[in-house]
Formats: sequence, C-alpha cells, structure tokens
Amino acid sequence: MATHAHTDAVHDDHDHKPHGWRRWVFSTNHKDIGTMYLVFACTMFFVGGTMALIIRAELFEPGLQFVDPQFFNSMTAMHALVMIFGAIMPAWVGLANWLIPMQIGAPDMALPRLNNLSFWILPFAFMLLLGTLFVPGGAPAGGWTMYPPLALQAGDSFPMMIFAIHLMGASSILGAINVVVTVMNMRAPGMNLLKMPLFVWTWLITAYLLVAVMPVLAGAVTMLLTDHYFGTSFFAASGGGDPVMFQHIFWFFGHPEVYIMILPAFGVVSEIIPTFSRKPLFGYESMVYATAAIGFLSFIVWAHHMFTVGMPLAGQLFFMLATMLISVPTGVKIFNWCATMTRGSLTFEPPMLFALAFLFLFTIGGFSGLMLAIVPADFQYQDSYFVVAHFHYVLVPGSLFAIVGAVYYWLPKWVGRMYDQKLAKVHFWLSAIFVNVLFFPQHFLGLAGMPRRIPDYATQFADWNMVSSIGAFGFGFSQLLLPYIIIKCVKSGAPAPARAWDSAHGLEWELPSPAPFHSWETPPSAAVIARGAEH
Amino acid sequence: MTEPAVRIALVPHCSLTPAGAWTFFLATCGVSFGVAALLTLRGFWPVLVFAALEMLLLGWALYASMQRRHRVETIEITENSVAIDTCVHGAVVHTEFPRHWAQVRLRGDVSPLLPARLLIESGGRRCEIGSFLTEQERQRLAARLAPLIGAMAASPPLDTVHNRG
Repeated sequence: MATHAHTDAVHDDHDHKPHGWRRWVFSTNHKDIGTMYLVFACTMFFVGGTMALIIRAELFEPGLQFVDPQFFNSMTAMHALVMIFGAIMPAWVGLANWLIPMQIGAPDMALPRLNNLSFWILPFAFMLLLGTLFVPGGAPAGGWTMYPPLALQAGDSFPMMIFAIHLMGASSILGAINVVVTVMNMRAPGMNLLKMPLFVWTWLITAYLLVAVMPVLAGAVTMLLTDHYFGTSFFAASGGGDPVMFQHIFWFFGHPEVYIMILPAFGVVSEIIPTFSRKPLFGYESMVYATAAIGFLSFIVWAHHMFTVGMPLAGQLFFMLATMLISVPTGVKIFNWCATMTRGSLTFEPPMLFALAFLFLFTIGGFSGLMLAIVPADFQYQDSYFVVAHFHYVLVPGSLFAIVGAVYYWLPKWVGRMYDQKLAKVHFWLSAIFVNVLFFPQHFLGLAGMPRRIPDYATQFADWNMVSSIGAFGFGFSQLLLPYIIIKCVKSGAPAPARAWDSAHGLEWELPSPAPFHSWETPPSAAVIARGAEH
Repeated sequence: MTEPAVRIALVPHCSLTPAGAWTFFLATCGVSFGVAALLTLRGFWPVLVFAALEMLLLGWALYASMQRRHRVETIEITENSVAIDTCVHGAVVHTEFPRHWAQVRLRGDVSPLLPARLLIESGGRRCEIGSFLTEQERQRLAARLAPLIGAMAASPPLDTVHNRG
C-alpha cells in the first residue's frame, strides 16, 4: 500500500496484531506464517532425525538387533519423505516468508490468504503420511522414489502416501506461486531485479523450478494410483506400460527438487559471507546468472540418477556431460565466495562458521557428484553407500547448515534479542565434527561395495558402520542445542540493535529489531534501497 | 469548495507491468505445457491436467495481483463531509457522506476465513474502501480513519485530532 497523507499526522498503535490461537490459525501475516513454517520444519527435522537414528542404531553392528527388515525399509522411505518435504522445504519456505517481503520492501506476501492455506495444508499432509506407520502393512517401504512395481505392493499405506504427496505438492505450488508473484509485483519502487538480494533471487528461481516440476510429480503419483486401483497400465509392464518411464518422470521432478533444496542455501551463504568478510559480494551479477544456469541445467540431467537401467550410449554421454556442466556455474559461485573473503576482515561468528562449513562440505558433496556423473564409475557406485554419502553431504552440511546459519544470522532481527554465541559455536563444532564422522565413512562403505537400504550387512563393513552410527548419535543429539539456544534467546537474550551485525546490508536491517509486526507499510525511500542494495 | 483537511490516497503498489506479467506467464506456460505435451505424446496425459490446473492458478494469482494497479481510492475529509473517489480503469465513482452522521466500521465478523471489510456508513448507505489492502493494512487504515471521522452523530474537531498525533 502506498498511503499518501498530505496533512494527516495521526499516529496510532502500530502493533495491531490478533492475539491467542486466532493469531496463528487465521494468520495472514508473513512473519507469523514464516514462524509457523520454521517451527513445523524443526519438529519434522526431529521426527525425521529419530527415524535416521533408528536406521543407524540397527546398522551399528551386523545382524538384526532392534527392528525387522520391513520396518527398517519403512524408516528409510519415511526418513527421506519427512526430511525432504517436512523439514528442508518448509524451512526454506519459512525463511522466504520471513525475509522476502522485508528484503524487497513489501508490506506482506502478494496473496496472504493463499499463504495461510499453503501452510495449513502441511500439518494435515504429514498427519496422513505419519499415520501410515499405524495402518495394516506398515508405512511405505519402497523408498521415497516410489518405483513401480515395488511401490504398488504396499498395503493400506499406499493411497495415504499418494494423497499426502498430493497435499505436500499443493502446498509447495501455492507457496511457490506466492513467492513468484510477490517478487515480481511487490518490489518497492526503485528495487529493480538486479538490486534484489541474492536470497530473493535464488528463491525466485527456486519457485520457478517448483512451478515447473510439481505437475510432473502430481501426474506421476496419480498414474501410480490409477495403475493400482483403476486398472490402467501407465507403468505396469503386464498391461503394456513402461515401469522405467516412471523413473524418468520421477527424476525429471526429482533432480530439480534437489536444486529446490540447495539454491536458497546459495542465497543465504551469499548474504552471510559478505557480512562477516566486511566486503561486498564479489561478482553479484555472475552469481545471479550462475543460479539461473544451474536452474536451467537441472532440467536436463535427470537420467544420471538411473544410468544403470540401460539407455542408448548417446543418452548416457548427453546426461554425463550435462551433469558435469553444472560444475561450471557452481564453480563460479564457489570462486566468488572465496574471492569475497579474500583480503576481507573476517570474523567467525556462528552464521559465518556455518557458511564456511557449507562451503567446504558442500564442495565435497559436489566432487562426489562429479564422480557419480561419470557413467562407467556410476555403474560401480549405483545404489551403494557412496551415493548415500554424496547426497547427504549435499543436503546436510549443504542445505541444513545453510538453514541453521540463516537462523543464527537473522534470529536477532526476528526476536530482537541476541543469542548465546558461545553456545552456538559449541553447536557448530559438534555439528561439523559429527556430520563428518557420520557421513564420510559412508564413502568408504560404498566404495567397498555396501549396498544402500539394507538392514543387515557383511562383517567386512562393520567398523565403518559403527563409526558412522556414533557420528549419527553425536550429530542428532547435538542438534537439540538449536531449539535450546533459540528458546534461551527469546526468553533472556540481550537486546539486539537494528543492524545486529555491523556490516550487514539489505533492507531488513533498516527495520528495527525485532522487525515490527507490519513492516514497510510505507515503501522504503530510494536512499534506503540504495543503502540496502550494496551487495 | 472548502479545502479538505485530510486527504488519503490509497494506491496499490505494483512493480510488474502488464506486458511483463504476460511475458512471464506465457514463458512459464511454455515450459510447463511443453514438458506436459511431451509426456502426453508418450501417453502420460495426467501430467497435462495438473500442468493446466497449475497454470490456471498461476494466471489467477498474477491477475489478482495485477488488478491492484487499476484502482485508486481517495478519501477526503473536511469539517462537514467525507468524500470517497474510487477510480477503477479511469472511471470515477464519487460518494459523499455528512461527516457528522458517518462512521467507520471494520466488519471482520462474517467469517475468519473471509477478509474483513472496511466500510464508511451513514444513513443506511455504505462505501467499502481498501478492499485491495492486506488485513493488517486495513486494520491500520481503520484505526487511522476512526478518530478523523468520529462516531455516529459526533464530529471531533479535525485540528484536535491532528494535534493529538
């Protein structure tokens, strides 16, 4: 809203916010909805984390100790679904809700009621998904990829899982459309596209990817449903269908989905590193173009997930080379972050530590990704623990560390209080050490030939599995520090100034801390935008 | 004609031009329907249905957001009157109420799922303002107008209302 009152100087209470449960259930405020997304994501992170610990407890030593193989398989499938759709994606949408309107000088998201709806779909989706744990036949156990015909052999959980995925997809689409329309149409006057913070840019491209691929997922799971219940044969070989086409369709969604989880992380790191290097971001425009290039390439590399199903040599070469090509724009980003830090006045507050860990460890995930892109090598690594190590390096010290770094970076702005930095550094070091103890040995296990998704294994894999499980429990329990630090900050943290970090740039830092319930009701001035846009 | 003591113009902000919106929408449709068409040709037509549904939703979202640019609402308050000019696509609708017999009402009691309506009422007539605002903006505007217009059968002196701020 642009409200011009020439002679009106009336001030009123600025904090018109509803109270009680209505504030949350009927909320259309982007900050409240962002908070709900983040709380939901944190809850699901611990639910999915508990599933991971069940997996790692079972794998602590050879033999079957705690759970039967069916339940073990359910845990691997559910852990993935919960972490991807319940923890990482909602966390990014929560951060988008909190930050995008403040960073582009908008009073709220473009479609606030749609925003409310897109959040409130999620708890129902996950009640349905987690409810499958209690139905005859148990939870889905065919992996999060739902490959037919295995997925079609599930019990009563099958339609529940499909409906839950539809709901999650609907929530994602509504959220993505809202982000797209907000960024395109709600920017403050003077905030042109190349003045937007990189977090907004990366989210715009992420939202575009979501809009492009979600119908493919929705169509794929609907076809699974009709194959199961209505006698169609989209993927049933017995009726002339092609089960391999499901893999193609699924990964056409699935690979951009990986970038949906990682692109906003690039945006966060691009905000944090310049702040704690006390230098503008090196190569802002090249970062934007690199992000767009990664977004584009993500559509043409899906088959590298399924080289072993068999495909023409030309197809193998195309997907191998296209996959390797992604390392070019990614390399541009890594180079720019390093160049930003070069000769900077670096300090190592918790957000910077998480950003640096992201830089090193995500790069390890990137390198193992390059190894997996090489077709002959992939034939050896396919479905081994090497793949498990690879994508966990991308998603845990990649996406998750960036989310935690973002929370530590913007928490003072959200709650108006500073958190215990010493404790946050303890959280960082425990996380950084244990994440490597957890996942690095899995490279060795995979190279030695241990397959993924098995509850028992040959004794030759015992030692590294034990190390990995110790890392899992260390990493899992150390994450309990995060909610403790946040609660402690909210209750008793020292008041934070508007610009919580001395060289932070961006419109959000022009607002007081905590950010008022309604921000930028009057669009920021050109001078404020210019100050905020010093990338 | 007396100079209005208070003039408030409500102008929705849009950073997207209609041409930009069309370009963006068509480009997105091109990608989405392109993929869906390829899969449909291979027999996987349900993808096309979901792509169409999603593009409809995106189109509606862009349309709803772009509608904002066609609307300007001007509220002029003098000692004796409250005048509202609503300009939609260049057509101006003028509504005037006697300030003494007018009041501001924020009706949010219909359903918590529906947006509240900000109304200026007098003598059985009513005029809605700020329908394009967010809920919070509408509440803020209502809180701002209430002391300026006053309750029914009350005309607080405007200069006093000003000075109170």
